[in-house]
Amino acid sequence: MPAVGIFVCGRRRRSYNAVTSAERTLTGGRRAAILPCNRRITDRSMMEPRKTVLHDRHVALGARMVEFGGWRMPLQYPSGIVQEHLATRRSAGLFDVSHMGRFAFRGPGALGFLQHVLTNDAARLAVGEAQYTIAAHAEGGAVDDAYLYRFDAEEYLLVVNAANRRKDLDHFQAVLPDFAGVEPVQYGSVWTDRSDEQAMLSLQGPLSGQILAGLIDSGRLPEPPQRNRLSTATIRGRRVRVARTGYTGEPLCFELFAPAEEAAALWDLLVEAGVSPVGLGARDTLRLEANLPLYGHELGADPDGRDIPVLASPSAAGAVSLSPRKGDFIGRGALGRQHEAFKKIACGDFSSLDDLPRIVRPVAVTGKAIARAGDRVFGADGRHVGYVTSGTMVPYWKIEGESTDAGRNETGMRPIGLALLDGRLGEGDDLSIEVRGRRAGAVVVSRHLRSEGTRGTRPVGHGFCADEETPLSAGESPHTGPYWAR
Amino acid sequence: MVPKDLRFTKTHEWAKVEETSNLVVVGISDFAAGQLGDIVYVELPEAGQTVALEDAFGVIESVKAAVELYSPVSGEVVEVNQAVADDLDLVSKDPYGGAWMIKVRADDSGALDGLMTAADYEAYVKSAECEQE
Repeated sequence: MPAVGIFVCGRRRRSYNAVTSAERTLTGGRRAAILPCNRRITDRSMMEPRKTVLHDRHVALGARMVEFGGWRMPLQYPSGIVQEHLATRRSAGLFDVSHMGRFAFRGPGALGFLQHVLTNDAARLAVGEAQYTIAAHAEGGAVDDAYLYRFDAEEYLLVVNAANRRKDLDHFQAVLPDFAGVEPVQYGSVWTDRSDEQAMLSLQGPLSGQILAGLIDSGRLPEPPQRNRLSTATIRGRRVRVARTGYTGEPLCFELFAPAEEAAALWDLLVEAGVSPVGLGARDTLRLEANLPLYGHELGADPDGRDIPVLASPSAAGAVSLSPRKGDFIGRGALGRQHEAFKKIACGDFSSLDDLPRIVRPVAVTGKAIARAGDRVFGADGRHVGYVTSGTMVPYWKIEGESTDAGRNETGMRPIGLALLDGRLGEGDDLSIEVRGRRAGAVVVSRHLRSEGTRGTRPVGHGFCADEETPLSAGESPHTGPYWAR
Repeated sequence: MVPKDLRFTKTHEWAKVEETSNLVVVGISDFAAGQLGDIVYVELPEAGQTVALEDAFGVIESVKAAVELYSPVSGEVVEVNQAVADDLDLVSKDPYGGAWMIKVRADDSGALDGLMTAADYEAYVKSAECEQE
């Protein structure tokens, strides 16, 4: 039986988050990625995995390499997922994210096309800004989630999930005939696939700013120093594009874009400066703790195979613009209905649950178990109310008192998750999660992580109920205003 | 190095017959512990439960996944090592000693004959078969 146990050869893993049954069938029972990967098949998954330009660095550092989204990627370095997670939270972590897809959009039709295929208002992006966005389909589910960067006036750079790269291109291609006024340039349209010529590193954590600042010859870090701002800098003679973005919940975070041939030197500089390399394992625990959705888990299809409405993920709200200025786009009608339902739900009115039956909520496991993606969740009355979409045990620093500078010497572990739950449930509601046939107690929480007042992150209040604002998670809120008012 | 007196399953459990008690002691290999990475939870059966050859008797979880522990013998669980569940570091620090998991009164005295020897197991973890399993 050709099943590579990525963790342990020959062991049957009980985690449900790696592959879907469809993928198992297609790959002959192979449990491919230990990391939550996408539920949809990409043609890449059938091919030899690709290597990023930093592959040799990972191997030299002793990383355990796994296949993820069609790429050979480091799952963890010898220090392990727990230490990598903690290092990112206390100092700084360095991630190779070159596997992600990067598409450049240029030309007079670019903005119009992006406005049509993406849910956020790309016209709001000034040069030097970025935004979280989603490619939705007409029914209001996600084709993919993505980040859109505008480093200069002529070009938009869209960064998409590695495993969805081909699917996204196919989707854009399929949509193109409906869209007037686009001059085909490459791949039949206005976009250029920059994934190979450009590498991407992510530097996250409280010390990331000073480390990066110490390496800059000229240019600057993004100003004002807040999330989603961009800049260009020269780092030891290499021109690097710098974005204040990330996927860890860290208030201080950077993503660096550099020509592929310069990535290894940049990586070495950062490692020599003392940052900890972090693999996909901790990338997943960090984003989960920060309540950030992952395509294939909180976005995409649910365990029953139904599309998860985009606005079931409260963090996705910042990626959706329903303002008149944005105008029509793919999925607008459905997203508008989801938004209305969400507003009602937030005020205790459940009359529109058909448009948004379930919402992704952070859950803390109170029983002695670790919830995993796919586990069934039950309400206090025993009713089946949803599924765990992501779950694991994550480490944390025990912080004494008010200041985040104090303490951080002792660590703990806690089982947490995200769950797609009946819209009627909310913070404080008791749950039980079925873990291997036994029920473990759990509770809905507002979030798992809080940004500690660092400038540059402001939680987005949903504003549905003025006196009961629910902040978004941990400084990852992509916008500062309620999205429907933009 | 793998202790020479142990026998192994393809799913990386080890077993040996404890001379004083004649019970089969079961744990997981150093290789398995290393592959799992940070171990965060171990769930073991209760003493008195019966286990069957190649059936799951427990679960070991790392940050990324939960994997089942498969019994190398059929019989009755006589003793369970609670220390492992309480001190998860034991699994990687002392997989062949302090991190034993259960002791089983095997139904069959030749129960371990079908398992790999230490030498076979060492070859197995280096082999493509392990990768393919």
